Amino acid sequence: MSTTASPTGLADPDELDLRLPVSYLADGHSVRSWLLTTDHKRIAILYAVTITLFFFIGGAAATLVRLELATPEADVLRADTYNKLFTLHGVVMVWFFLIPSIPNTLGNFLVPLMIGARDVAYPKLNLISWYLNVGGGSLAVAALLLGGVDTGWTFYVPYSTVFSNTWVSLTVLGVFTTGFSSIATGVNFIATIHLLRAPGMTWFRLPLFVWAMYTTSLMFVLATPVLAVTLLLVVAERTFGLPIFDPARGGDPVLFQHLFWFYSHPAVYIMVLPAMGVVSELITCFSRRKVFGYTFMVYALVAIAVIGFFTWGHHMFTSGMSPYAALVFSFLSFVVAVPSAIKVFNWTGTLYRGQVGFESPILYALGFVGLFTLGGLTGLFLASIPIDVHVQDTYFVVAHFHYIMVGASVSAYFGGLHFWWPKITGRTYPETWARFAAILMFFGFNLTFFPQFIAGYLGMPRRYHVYPPEFQIWNVLSSAGAAVLAVAYLMPLGYLTWSLLFGERATNNPWDATGLEWRTSSPPPRQNFFGSPRVQGGPYNYHPEGVAPIHDQPRLPSQGSLT
Amino acid sequence: MSSADVEARPREGHPDIEARLREPWSDLETDHATAFARQRAGATFGIWIFLASEVLFFGALFLTYTAARLANQEAFAAAGRETNIVYGTLNTAILLTSSLTMAVASQAAEKGLFRRLTLGCLAATAALGLAFLVVKGFEYREDIEKHLVPGAHFALAQAPAQIFFAFYWLVTVVHAIHLSIGIGLVTRLIAKGRRDPDFLKENPQVEVTALYWHLVDLVWVFLYPMLYLPGRSG
Amino acid sequence: MSTGHETPSDLWRRNLPVWVALMALLALSAWAAYWPFGRIDTAVGFAVAGVKAALVALVFMQLRHASGLVRVVAACGLFWAAILFTLTLADVLSRMVNR
Repeated sequence: MSTTASPTGLADPDELDLRLPVSYLADGHSVRSWLLTTDHKRIAILYAVTITLFFFIGGAAATLVRLELATPEADVLRADTYNKLFTLHGVVMVWFFLIPSIPNTLGNFLVPLMIGARDVAYPKLNLISWYLNVGGGSLAVAALLLGGVDTGWTFYVPYSTVFSNTWVSLTVLGVFTTGFSSIATGVNFIATIHLLRAPGMTWFRLPLFVWAMYTTSLMFVLATPVLAVTLLLVVAERTFGLPIFDPARGGDPVLFQHLFWFYSHPAVYIMVLPAMGVVSELITCFSRRKVFGYTFMVYALVAIAVIGFFTWGHHMFTSGMSPYAALVFSFLSFVVAVPSAIKVFNWTGTLYRGQVGFESPILYALGFVGLFTLGGLTGLFLASIPIDVHVQDTYFVVAHFHYIMVGASVSAYFGGLHFWWPKITGRTYPETWARFAAILMFFGFNLTFFPQFIAGYLGMPRRYHVYPPEFQIWNVLSSAGAAVLAVAYLMPLGYLTWSLLFGERATNNPWDATGLEWRTSSPPPRQNFFGSPRVQGGPYNYHPEGVAPIHDQPRLPSQGSLT
Repeated sequence: MSSADVEARPREGHPDIEARLREPWSDLETDHATAFARQRAGATFGIWIFLASEVLFFGALFLTYTAARLANQEAFAAAGRETNIVYGTLNTAILLTSSLTMAVASQAAEKGLFRRLTLGCLAATAALGLAFLVVKGFEYREDIEKHLVPGAHFALAQAPAQIFFAFYWLVTVVHAIHLSIGIGLVTRLIAKGRRDPDFLKENPQVEVTALYWHLVDLVWVFLYPMLYLPGRSG
Repeated sequence: MSTGHETPSDLWRRNLPVWVALMALLALSAWAAYWPFGRIDTAVGFAVAGVKAALVALVFMQLRHASGLVRVVAACGLFWAAILFTLTLADVLSRMVNR
């Protein structure tokens, strides 16, 4: 047992000596105790540090891109630098921030806690997965420092194999390596959720966040190996001259796109399903209501995870794919919209007649619902072949996928981070600042990306550093929005760091939420629980069965103390 | 787990069960024997999930082959005739035999009764794996001498035949890497099993290694008709 | 299956016949490749590979006695590979017909 105060002042065991075990944060302070830890909570923190780093690397590249696009001429960057910057932005944000963001930080921290387990099924594998992620990230950053890559994040052949003279192989190997980190996480979560649920925690008592992690893990395990092979084929062709996709020798570049999107379309769901899980937790807690249609929420998650594997061809309508296959893929892409819509309706149904409070996490969650709806509906435009042919490779597509991947997923990540911050760190943050940042993020995001829908629909192509002057108004709006968004992203970095040092101690259940993770101390001990949790009822028991929430239900003082 | 596993479950009070329990299974609210059975089931389940992932990995490779072969049937037949069917068939037989020894080793360890049989079968498995790599080395030397490496000096006239050999080199090297990892895992089991007489008994690591080994073998079972059998009758 | 009183020869008796079958199948597929029937040879080659894979999976990998959960996992791998093959080849084949 540690008797000295921790350097950060977090979780000081002497402050309130109740003969309780020390928290996971106070259980060892050496660098070694962090870098060789097998505690899922510490590994979550390790992941949080690395993805934050990558988020700001990717964000810096995006800032330069938006700066260049403020005017129609090339003033800041040359064409090849611009190409390298948007590639860097895409590669880093997709594989080193978004994919690991919610699963590996919040998921790693919360899945064992939510199911009442001591740790994940394979704790060492969990640590290895972090090292694989860091190793892959280092390779990608090394490629950046050596001179960068200009293929775009999609690495399309034959450009990436035959023509590009940049550090394609190194970047691709970095992504390849981090893929195994995803697979390791997926295997771990699936086994954990199957085998380590506490007594009484049946499948249909699992919180929706755990279901989201389970379905995400399915996609990690079944989609990522295909990406690994695809990238391996690119390296083989570039480095060893083994021509699998070379059209000059009878190869088929469209085949690369099939393999790439077999992973990369489910990857979008890898980014958004965890976000849906987080938002389900937030909405039900802050409207003080049981989630509307729990079982359908579960079926919708599973349906999205499975059908998401059947739709990849909608990325390839203009690539020379057979028109018959395009029709099939178009139809299947419309089908996947059904479970997504079910989820939006059920969130709305949960909010309806709820006692909705407007603390910062729910502001992020409400932002998510709006942005996800807009991103999802424009996705239906793109699943329709005639419209897709019109707007393919324009800013319409850019705006669409940013609404899903940034608007929805990143909002949910920040929402979850604020919601579970008292549990993770044992500290509360300044609520007023947090609300301001949440609102600013919503407006900054829309100001950045809504003009891109218009510019794209009018015909502005993506991936050029210059453009005809008639698009300038939309680009100025967008760049201005990017500045607002940058401030909104930097603010949490400031006040959350502040809260680590000076924030008030958090109570065990500051939001008066249900769920096993709130039935232990904040921050939890190494063993997660005092004694053994047993589950006796379903999730989200915010009001008695069959009774509408009481309208003058008092809000608990602990919630007020967060401001 | 199957009834066989439940029956083979160690009895309560077995001295070394507690030592073999690992986090987080050791914290389960049951007796050690049940916890150990769950740890075993967990290991089997985990490796099967990984194998499902590997199926997609090799499935994607096989798909590139299938698509390229469908589009270039004559060139693939001509290229398939150039591989050495003697080496290929010999290696298939070697790997299938190694799967037999591996299966016996795994089942013997699971019963926990036949340590010498387990060790002997593991050693035979590793030796057969090495034999495969040696044969493959001879085959590679012959392929290089026959200019079957894609590039400027490629032996065959049809351009798509280069795609066949690009696939050949890539997939056999990836398979050899998998097999080498398998040999390493088996060797590790032998080394630990020789040092500690109780190590192999009922140890889930033997089953995990065996399942991985069988998958590597299965990949080769499909590579055999892909690489060695096309165009033989032409 | 018998319990703790199994002898080594029981193990061999269970697994050796499978090995013999695998060797016979290997010989069959090597021989069939030389039949002058073109595409049928290919079909035989892959069918034999499928049978060999099933034997190894069911007996050597003990899928026969595995829990339902493990069987579902194995089936998932095959099902998702089937998605990949079906939809990709739907495009590749229909493009070849059009050409």
